[in-house]
Amino acid sequence: MLIELESVTKIYNKGRPNEVKALTGVSLTIEPQTMVCLKGASGSGKSTLLSIVGCVFPPTSGRASIAGKQLSRLPDRFLTIHRRETIGFIFQQFNILPGLTVMDNITLPLLPLGVSPRERRKKARILTEQLSITHRENFLANQISGGELQRVAIARALINNPPIILADEPTAHLDSRLSMEFMSIMNDLRLAGKTIIIASHDTLVTDHPQVHHIVGVKDGRIHVP
Amino acid sequence: MLKTVFEKHLNILDYSLSSLWRRRLKNASVLLVFAGVIFLLASFQMVTQALTQLAKDSLENTPEITIQRMSAGRQEAIPLAYMDELSTIFGIQKVVPRIWGYYFDEANLANYTVMGLDVSAMPFGKKLNLALREGRFPEREGTGESVIGQSVYTAKDLKNRRVISFFRPDLSLKSFKVVGIFSSIVDLLTSDLIVMNIEDARDLFAIAPGFVTDLCVYVANPMEVDTIAKKIADRLSDTRVLTRSQIMKTYQVVFGWRSGFASVCLLTALAAFIILAWDKASGLSPEERREISILKILGWETTDVLAVRFWESFLVAALAFVIGCTFAYIHVAFFDATLFRPVLLGWSVIYPSFQLIPNISVDDLLLIFCFTVIPYLAATVIPAWRCAIVPADSAIR
Amino acid sequence: MFLNSWSLTLCLCSLVVFFLLAFASRTAVRVLRFWNPASDSNRQIRLENEIWLSSTMVAYGLGFQIVSLLLFVLAANHYCQMIVGAMCATGALTANSFGVPALMVKVAGVFLYGFWIVMHQLDIRSERYPLVRVKYIFLLLLLPLLFVDISLQTLYISGLKPDIITSCCAVVFSSSSGTGSQSFLANVSQQTLLVLFYSGIAALFTCGILLLRYKHALLAGLYSLLWMVFFGVAIVTIIAALSSYIYAMPYHNCPFCIFKTQYYYIGFAIFGTLIPAVFLGISLSLVQLFLGKSDLVFYIRKFQTYAVCFSLLFLTVFAFLSSYHYIVYKIMGGEV
Repeated sequence: MLIELESVTKIYNKGRPNEVKALTGVSLTIEPQTMVCLKGASGSGKSTLLSIVGCVFPPTSGRASIAGKQLSRLPDRFLTIHRRETIGFIFQQFNILPGLTVMDNITLPLLPLGVSPRERRKKARILTEQLSITHRENFLANQISGGELQRVAIARALINNPPIILADEPTAHLDSRLSMEFMSIMNDLRLAGKTIIIASHDTLVTDHPQVHHIVGVKDGRIHVP
Repeated sequence: MLKTVFEKHLNILDYSLSSLWRRRLKNASVLLVFAGVIFLLASFQMVTQALTQLAKDSLENTPEITIQRMSAGRQEAIPLAYMDELSTIFGIQKVVPRIWGYYFDEANLANYTVMGLDVSAMPFGKKLNLALREGRFPEREGTGESVIGQSVYTAKDLKNRRVISFFRPDLSLKSFKVVGIFSSIVDLLTSDLIVMNIEDARDLFAIAPGFVTDLCVYVANPMEVDTIAKKIADRLSDTRVLTRSQIMKTYQVVFGWRSGFASVCLLTALAAFIILAWDKASGLSPEERREISILKILGWETTDVLAVRFWESFLVAALAFVIGCTFAYIHVAFFDATLFRPVLLGWSVIYPSFQLIPNISVDDLLLIFCFTVIPYLAATVIPAWRCAIVPADSAIR
Repeated sequence: MFLNSWSLTLCLCSLVVFFLLAFASRTAVRVLRFWNPASDSNRQIRLENEIWLSSTMVAYGLGFQIVSLLLFVLAANHYCQMIVGAMCATGALTANSFGVPALMVKVAGVFLYGFWIVMHQLDIRSERYPLVRVKYIFLLLLLPLLFVDISLQTLYISGLKPDIITSCCAVVFSSSSGTGSQSFLANVSQQTLLVLFYSGIAALFTCGILLLRYKHALLAGLYSLLWMVFFGVAIVTIIAALSSYIYAMPYHNCPFCIFKTQYYYIGFAIFGTLIPAVFLGISLSLVQLFLGKSDLVFYIRKFQTYAVCFSLLFLTVFAFLSSYHYIVYKIMGGEV
C-alpha cells in the first residue's frame, strides 16, 4: 500500500481550552496509481486529512504510513525531507509567488536540494514543454492567466518527480473547460504512474469517470456516501 | 555531498538576493539608516587614524629625547650648563637647545607656538627645508628672521608683506622678517608655528641669558633611546625626560580616547538602529507569511528559511558597510571630516587646515565591521527564527 | 582603558555572544525539563522549533567568537602602541596577568562552541534526536566558560594603563620589554623544536592515513591525542623558531607580529589552518563517544572520514605556510 492510515486522530491545541478534535479514528488505504477524491464541506477535517497524507504534520495518535514511512511523532525536519521526496502539492489559490518568474516558481522545491541552476532549468524545461507553457517561462507569475498559473502549479508539483500528487480544491478558480483540462492532465499523470489525491467538492471532479474512489469526510470521520 | 551543501547555499543566497530585491523599499530604509550609522563610526575611526598617522609623520623629524626642567611641578627655563652634564653620556649624537613657547595674539585672539632654535644644528636640518612651502629657515646669525605656519600667515593677513611684529612682555614691539612659510603637509605641528633664531626667541620672551626652555637630544641608535633617557633622568634629577615614542603614545592615547568617546556617543545611534532593525525584521506581513509557508510546504526546512534570512541580513549589512565606509572615506579625505573636526581637534584656537589622508587598514575595517554588523546580525536572529517557524500547513488552510 | 574603540568593540562583541548564548540556554533549560518526543502538545511543537533557534544562536555565537578572537589579537597589536614598555602585542597582553588567560579562554571557546555545532549536526541526522539532552547539558556548561571569558577580558581591559606623559619624570621603565615567552623558550633549542615539529607532522600523516584504512577507536584516540600535543608543539615552534624566519630577524620571536600588514597577514593563514585542523582532529574522537547511539553510527563514521581528510588537508596547507620562509631561507642560504 502506498498510503495507509489506521485509526488516525488529530487534535489541535491538545490539553488547552481551545482544543479541537479535527480527525477521529480515520482508517484509509490508497493504492498506487489510483485517483482518489476526498469530498467534504469546509471544517469537516478534509484539510487536516490532506495535511497528514501530505506529511505536513504527524497525527496525534494512530498509525500513518506514507510511501513506506511511519509518520507518528516524526520531527518536523524529517517530515519535510520525506515530503519533498514523495509529495507534489497543487493548491486552491495555486500559491505561486507573484514576484518570481514562472521558471523560478517551478524550481523552488529544488533550491534546498542543492540542484545547480543549469540542472534546474533542464528539469523545468521538460515539464514546461509537456504542459506547453515554455513561452511563459520568463514571465512574472502575476502576468499570466489562471489556466497557465494552474499549469505552473502542476509543473512545480512534479519537479521533484514525487510518486504522490495532492491537489486541494484545484478547480475552485477555474472554469469548466479548464477544469476538464486539469482532470485530463491528472489522468495522464496517473497513467504515467503517479497516485493522485484530490480534495474537492466540485462535481466536475467527483463525477469524473477516471476517479477510482470517493472518500467522504464529515465531522472528522470517514463517511461512505 | 559537500558539493551539494555548497550548491544549496549558493541557491539560497540567490533566492535571498531576489527576495531582497522584491522588497527593496522596505530594505532600502534599513540599508540607508544602517549605512548612516556606519558612516558616522567609520568617519571617526578614519579621522583618528589619519591624525595618528599625521602625528607619526610629523614626529619623524623631532628629537628622540626632549629634556625640560621642572620646578614645583611646573616647567621652568633650563640652564645651558646642563648640556655639559650630557656630553659625557655615550651614545648621544647631538644636543640642541631650544626655546619653545606660546604667544597670544590679542588682535586675532589666536595662540601661536613659538620655537627658537638653531635649525642648522639639528642632524636633519638640511632635510627640514622640505617642510617649507617657500623660502628657507633663519640663518644662524640672521637675527630678526622667522618662518611661519599657514595659520599664522592667514591670521596675520600677510599676503605679500614679509614682515611680522610681536610684543615683548614689556609691550615693546619686535619685528621679524618672514623668510619662509611651512607647507600644509606638516600642518598638524606647524600650522600655528613660528620658528626663529634662539637669540630672537630669548629676546621676545625675555628669558635670562644662558637659559632655554628645553634641550633636544638626538640619539644615533634608536635601540638606546630608553637607556640614554634613563641615564639623563638619573644625572639631571630636576628634569622631565620625554622620549619620542612616549609623545607618540600620548598622541595615540588621546586620539584613541577621543574616538572611544565618540564611539560611546554613537552607541546610542547604533542602539536606535538596532531597535529599528528588530522592528522591521519582526513585522511579518501576510504576504511574507504566505511566502514562507509555501516554501516550507514545498520542502524547505526551517534552517533553510533561517539561512535565507541570514543572507538577507548579511547582504544588507555588507552593502551598508561598503556604502558607509566609502562615504566616510570621501568625507574624511575630500571634505576634511567637516562634521567632526571640532570634536577631534582643538588644542589651539586656530584650527590647522591640514589635509587628512585616511590610511585605512584591514584592522580598522574589521573594527568598524564588528562594532556595527555583529550587533545587527544578532538583533535579527530572533525575528528571523519567528519567521522561519511559520507552519507549513498555513499554506493549505 | 575602556574608552577606546577597540576595547568598546571587544566588550560589545562579548555582550552580543552572551546575549545569544543566554537565550540559547533558556531553550536548553526548557528542553531538559519538558522534552517529550511522544507528545503532540503545543509545547513540544514549540520546543522542536526552539531547537533551530538555539542552534542558530550558538552558530552565530561561534562565528562572533572567532571574530572576537581575531579582534582581541588585533586589539593587543593596537594597545601596545599606547602602553608603557610594550614593543608588540606580547607586551600588551602581558601588561597585566589577565591578558594571556583571556586569550586562551577565547581559543577554548572557539573549540567548545565548535564541538557543540558538531554534536548538533549529528543529533539532527536521526529522527529520534538521540543527543538532545547531552547537547543541551553541554550548552549549559558553556555558560560559565563564557562568563570567565567576559570577566577576564573586562579585567584585562580595565587593568590596562595607557602611557600618558606625566608631569613628573616621564621616563617609565617597565621590566617587560616585549617577549615574555622568550625566557622559557630559550631553554629549548630551535633545532630540537624543529625536529619535534616536523616529526609531529609526519606522525599525524601516518596516523591519519592508517585511520582512513582501519577505523579503530584506539587509533582515533591516538590521532586526537597527537593533534593536541602537536597544537602545543606547533605554537611553540612558530613562536620560537619559525617566526624569526618570517620576520627575517634572528632575535624577533613574537607570536603576534605575524598578524600584521607588513608580513602580509600570514599569521591569519597559519592559525586559520592550524586551528580548524586541530579542531577536526580532536572532535574526531569526541564523536566516538556517541557510537552507542545506533542510528548515528553511519553519520559518525562519515564525519570521521571527512574529519581525517580535512584535518590532513589543513595540515598540508599549514605545514607549507608555516615553513615557507624557513625553507626559502634554507634553500637560498640566506635572506632574499
